[in-house]
Formats: sequence, structure tokens, C-alpha cells
Amino acid sequence: MYSSEEKTVIYASAVKGMNGRHALAFIRDGSGVRRLSEKEEAEASACIGAFEKKGIFLLTFLSEDYPESLKYISDPPLLLYGAGRRELLGKRKFCIVGSRITPPWAEKVGRKIAEELSEYFVIVTGLAEGGDAAAIAGALPKGDLISVLPCGIDMCYPAAHAALKEKILKKGLVLSEYPPGTGTAKFSFHQRNRILAGLSEGVLVISAGAKSGTLITAGRALDYGRDVFAFPYNIGISQGEGCNGLIKAGAYLTLSSGDILSVYGIEPQEKEEVSAEGDEGRILTYLRENGETHVAALAEALNMRIFEASAALSALEIKGLATKSGGNKYAALS
Amino acid sequence: MIAKIVCYALSGLEGIPVEVEADVNKGVPSYDMVGLPDAAVKESKERVRSALKNSGLLFPMNRITINFAPADLKKEGAAFDLAIAISLLKASEQLLGADVKDIVFLGELALTGDIRPINGLLPILISAKSHGFTKFIIPAENAEEARYLGGAEVYPAASLGDVVRHLVGMQPIPPLDMKEFIPGQHKKGTADLRYVKGQPIARRALEIAVAGGHNMLMSGPPGTGKTMLARCLPTVMPDLSFEEALEITKIHSVAGILGGDGIVTERPFRTPHHTATTVSMCGGGNKIVHPGEISLAHGGVLFLDELPEYKRSTLEALRQPLEDGCITVSRAGGTFTYPARFMLCASMNPCPCGNYGSTDRTCTCTPAEIRRYRRKISGPLLDRIDLQVEVDNITYDDLTSEDVSEDSAAVQKRVNAARRIQRVRFEGTDIHTNAEMGEKEIQEFCALTREGDKILRDAFDRMKLSARARARIIKVARTIADLDACEDILPRHVFEAVSYRLYDKI
Repeated sequence: MYSSEEKTVIYASAVKGMNGRHALAFIRDGSGVRRLSEKEEAEASACIGAFEKKGIFLLTFLSEDYPESLKYISDPPLLLYGAGRRELLGKRKFCIVGSRITPPWAEKVGRKIAEELSEYFVIVTGLAEGGDAAAIAGALPKGDLISVLPCGIDMCYPAAHAALKEKILKKGLVLSEYPPGTGTAKFSFHQRNRILAGLSEGVLVISAGAKSGTLITAGRALDYGRDVFAFPYNIGISQGEGCNGLIKAGAYLTLSSGDILSVYGIEPQEKEEVSAEGDEGRILTYLRENGETHVAALAEALNMRIFEASAALSALEIKGLATKSGGNKYAALS
Repeated sequence: MIAKIVCYALSGLEGIPVEVEADVNKGVPSYDMVGLPDAAVKESKERVRSALKNSGLLFPMNRITINFAPADLKKEGAAFDLAIAISLLKASEQLLGADVKDIVFLGELALTGDIRPINGLLPILISAKSHGFTKFIIPAENAEEARYLGGAEVYPAASLGDVVRHLVGMQPIPPLDMKEFIPGQHKKGTADLRYVKGQPIARRALEIAVAGGHNMLMSGPPGTGKTMLARCLPTVMPDLSFEEALEITKIHSVAGILGGDGIVTERPFRTPHHTATTVSMCGGGNKIVHPGEISLAHGGVLFLDELPEYKRSTLEALRQPLEDGCITVSRAGGTFTYPARFMLCASMNPCPCGNYGSTDRTCTCTPAEIRRYRRKISGPLLDRIDLQVEVDNITYDDLTSEDVSEDSAAVQKRVNAARRIQRVRFEGTDIHTNAEMGEKEIQEFCALTREGDKILRDAFDRMKLSARARARIIKVARTIADLDACEDILPRHVFEAVSYRLYDKI
């Protein structure tokens, strides 16, 4: 199943634990790949077998399905550990990331975009709270989802997302550069971010503070020549300073999945338009024109009673046309 | 000679008749007490001796035996003093001719012979009346408490001397004038919805909560008036009926927190501090079990400010009383059941710093902190809180605006109308309000139209509501329909009910 070349990489990285230059020096043999001795090959096979028992596959730099896009970044990972649907690696990939502290509306919109993009792309993201979780929630129903971990594939960070990780393992794909059992370290988040950017054709940043780790992913994406997209934020909202900075530097200002799809020349399929009539329609129009509004102000402006307004807003929320954004304020989606 | 006097001991909210028997015999002077008296009862020896002497009466210098019957019941407290003194007087033939049979004597004595008030007078009087006693001599300071008893002769006495003069007919004490209880007449609270600025959504939730007997949780930044809103809850609840007032008074009387009015005329509002222990919340004590905060809130509101700050075990202890409407506490001295049918109103911040979800201020909490904070409230407890509502941030303009909001009386009128509908609906069952409905009643009274059912199904898919939220949404929708005087639950009622589920959404 694994070619002898792959086994050489596995022997160097997984069995001997070599990294970077050392591993490359071991693997290279003139212009080709070193052939393993019988004993070494047996060890590599045993290692592969042990992982396969745990349901983990090994994706090497030399494997056929190693994503092209990842191969040509400056420091591609020699070996990736994976579990789940391996075939997702061969599809078009798009990355959605956000910082852990993401405003509720951004989570909602991010989730919606992830859901819509997953029709055309495999969504690549991490496993953290906030932005990542929104992307996962959007893409998980279809299952075309790759989550890249900053720790061993059998570990879970944050621990609270263990159940979520199990779901991804069932429906999507989990990847990690680190051998099983490795915990997180400061640098491992940064290194993971290069894989996120490397795997994907583009990166959407749904939230990022001025010094957010999410900006590293975006920076890598720029280094690798990927498209960068970001949500616009109001002035003075710290969770969005990074996003606005990206837009200032030339990232695509993104409001909906259409903004992303058009960059790739994809015509989104006409979807059945969810309609809002009567009070709901009036409220939706008002929200679209005036932005985030408090229920009381909305009721006053439209001459409705408060509880009529909250009932109609609930209806819009159920239809996915509006969202509650905290403090009894509502905003229109898309 | 032997004398028998009737007195009453308290067991929970029940009075238990105790016969005090005094035997004064010739012999070496001694003074013995038998029949399981506790320390406070035994100490009555000295109080009675001084009180008799200082009232100009004689303490018999003979062999004295006092017996309390039934002998197997522990006697506690100082309420037996007066009965002991009278029994001694009778046995030493100082009350010749006075008829003390069928009179219940209650009171603690001071050394001067004055009679001090006792706790739990009303429950004792009510029990004694049901046992057939109609004449009572009680401490003058407890007089107000007895005014609503009706159908009994109650004589308030200020001192032992007064009692003796009354019994021998020298100077009879006039019997207490009884009063009629008129619901809603004695309102005097200062809280009123009129003074609550803004908060239209929380006000509406409050109205629904009271109308259907639902528990509610308010979430919002600190200093936005959550406590003030909660204080208005009793003012919009239906007025106390006499039976309810009597029951609440009994509990407050046992706890010794009854005010000067003698009867509780307003629904109680209890705000235990978040350091409260499980025992102080549910009731407990060494031998006698004192009613806890949940019983003191019976018929009214239990307000838990900053819900996550309470101890987990204390909150979990609330679950069973919230279901059953009563609490049973077992101690060495016996097992006591106190009523505890209260409305739970709780408040919390959305996160430790209070700004989560706020659009104008930044939350500085990490997701893990917020999770930890919210996790302090267990799912089963949240299950019992039907309405969860966000309280708005107050602006300076709100505070200084001169708009007058609707007052409590207007809201109460609508609540009463909704409650009337529910009374008719639940005629002949143990259920009083929509919140108490079980699965069977929900099927019977809350049939959703096909459209309504579809909305709920969509809501579950879209908003990721937890499965157990369904019954609660339907119950709240039923109450909203009742407020609307609508027989069927319409889509708009379901939509509104869905908007009051804050913590079921993911």
C-alpha cells in the first residue's frame, strides 16, 4: 500500500523522529530517494501497521495524494498524520478562520458562508472556539471539512471540543503534523497556520484583533500567493481591527459567499429565495437599511408593539434572515 | 393537689397539644420537671419563680412535680412558661374558683411577671382551633397575629398579674376584636413597574412569567436594574387570598420574622445572599427545623441575584422543591414538611466581566472562562426556568427620561385575566398555572396547529434548541395565548415564546 519512497519518509520522520534538514538529508540519495534496508523497511511497516490499527493514515510529501498546493510552499510538512475521509485532500479547498473571541453576528455570518461555500470547496479550519467553530458548524452537515490540529491527532485542544472533534472524525478529515501524543506548544499554532494557508486556495478571516494569531494565517496566505478575504468591522471594535487592517492592505472585503465565489469565477446556483412578508418583511427591510437595531427602537420606528416585533424577529431568525447580536439587538443576515 | 393546663408545642407548621400537670405535695421543698423538657423549658423554673414572686403571688415551698404530656414529645422553647405558672397557682390553690379548663395558655414570662411574645403563635392557634379549643390567653404583643383567627375568644395579656385577675374575675380582659381580611387592601410596597425605566422586553417577560407561573432568568450587564425589575414581581402577582395569607403568615410566624401587622398582606420577596448555605435555603436546624428561604418565599418570589455565584449544591437542592412545591427536611427531632411554592427569579451576567454579547463594550473574558461561568448552572436547573431574557444596557437618557411607564396595577389586571382563564382550564386538578402542566396536560390543552408545529420544527433545526426546550416553549406559548385571550396557540405566540430561550441556543 505504501510505496518504498513513502516508507523512507515515514522511517525518517515517524520512526526516527527526524525533522527538517536532518530528515531531508536522510531521505535524499543523490537525485533520488534512499532505499531502506530490509530491517529499516520492516520497522517502517510495523510503524504504519500500528497507526493503521488506530485508524490513522500517514500522508507523506511523496504520496500521490499529497496536495499540490501544499507541496510548493516554502516549508511543506514532510509527513502528516490524518484520520477520516482521505479523499477530501484531492478536492478544492478554502480556509475559514477567526479568532477565539468573535462577535455573535460574525459567527452567524461565518457559519452561513461556510455552509454555502461547502457546496464548492472543502472547508479548511482549526478546532478553536469562535471563528473556527463557526466554520466547522457551517461545513459539518455536508462533511467536506478538514480540521488541522496544532497537537497530536489523538489529542484535543481545547479539551471542550472533544465531542466536536469526534464528529469531524466521522464526517470529515482531521490532519496534524505532530505525532500522536504531542501536546500543544506556542510555536505549534504558528506552524499549523502555515498548513491551513498552504492547503487552501484562499483564506477568509472572519474576526481578528490587532495582534491575533489569525493574522499569521492570513500573512502566510499572502506569502504563498493565496487570496485573502476579510469581514469589515465598525470602527472601534477590537475584535475586528485585524480584519480591517487586512482590507486596508488589499484583502477582499467580504459580505457574503458570493463575494468569494465570484473571485473564483463560480456562479452560485440559484437558491430558493426564503421570503419574508408582512411585518417580517418590513422589519427585514428596516434592518437592512439601518443595520443593527434594538427591538424597542425597531418597534417604535415601524409602529408595532414590542412583543409583535420580537415574535416577527424570532420568525426571521428561524428562517435564517436575521440574527440576535446581544443586548436585545438584531441584525439582518446578508 | 393536681392541676392540668393546656399549652401547645410547635412541630413544623402544626401545633401539638401539650398538657402541663403540676402536683404540689407536702414534703421537702423540691422542684422537678419530667416529660422531655429541653434546656429552655427547664430554665423556666427560675423565670416562673421570680415572676410569681414579683406579681405578688406565692411560690409554693413544697414538693413540686411538673409533667408534660405526651411524655415522648420533646418540649422546646419558652412558650410553656405561662402554662407552668398557672398550673402551679392552680395546684397550690391560689386560683380557687377560677375555671382554667379548656383555655389554652401561651406565653413566655419575664422575671418581672410580664408576658413576652412567642414565635409561631398563629399556627398554634389555627391547630388548637381545629382541635376544638376556643379560648386562648396569649401575649399582648402577639395580639395582631391573632386578629384574623375568627370564631374564637382570644385574650391578650400583658402580665401574669393580668391573667390571674382575669381568671378570678377581678378584672376581666376584653376579648380581642377580630378583623376581616380584604385581599389587596394592605398594599404598601414601594416597588412599582412605573419606576422601571426602559426595559420593554424584560417587562413583557415579567408579565408572561407571572401570568403563567413560570420561573425566569434575567441576563445582562451589572447595574441595569435587574434587581429592581425583580422587586416588581410581587406587585404584579394576583392579590393574596385569605387562605394564602394565613399560610404564609404561619410560616413567617414560625420563623419569627412576622412584622407588626400580624398577618402577611403582601407576597413575600426573598433575596438570600449568594453565600447562603443549602440548609439556610431549604430549612434545617439542630432539633427543631426552621423554615428555609424557599419556604419563606412561599406564595411569593425567591430572587437569586448573580445565580452562578451560588454554590452548586445549594442550587441543585432547589430542583425538587421547584417540582413539588414543598420541602421535607429530616432531622433528629423529626421530619418536617414546609410548603415551598414560590416563583424563582434569577439574574446573572452573560460572562464574568459582564460585557459578552454587548455591541458597544468589549468582553475581556476568554471562551473557557465564559464556559466555566455558565456551566455553574446545571442543565436540569435551567430546565425549570421557562423564560430567559436579556436585560438592556441602560443609557443616561433612559435614566433621566420623564416618560412614565405603565404601572404595576395595569399589568396586574392583565395577569389576573390570564390567571382566570387558567383557573377554568385546570378546574378540578392540582394544577394552578400553565407552568405546572405535565406532558398529559400539554397534549390536552396545547395542541399546536400544523403551522405552529412546523415553526417549532424549523426553530429546532435552525437555532439548535435542546430537545427538552420543546415543552417549555409550548407552555410559554400557551401563557402568551392566554394573555392574548386566544383559545388556540397561534404562530405568533410560538415565535414570541421562542425568543425567550437564551441559553438553549448554541
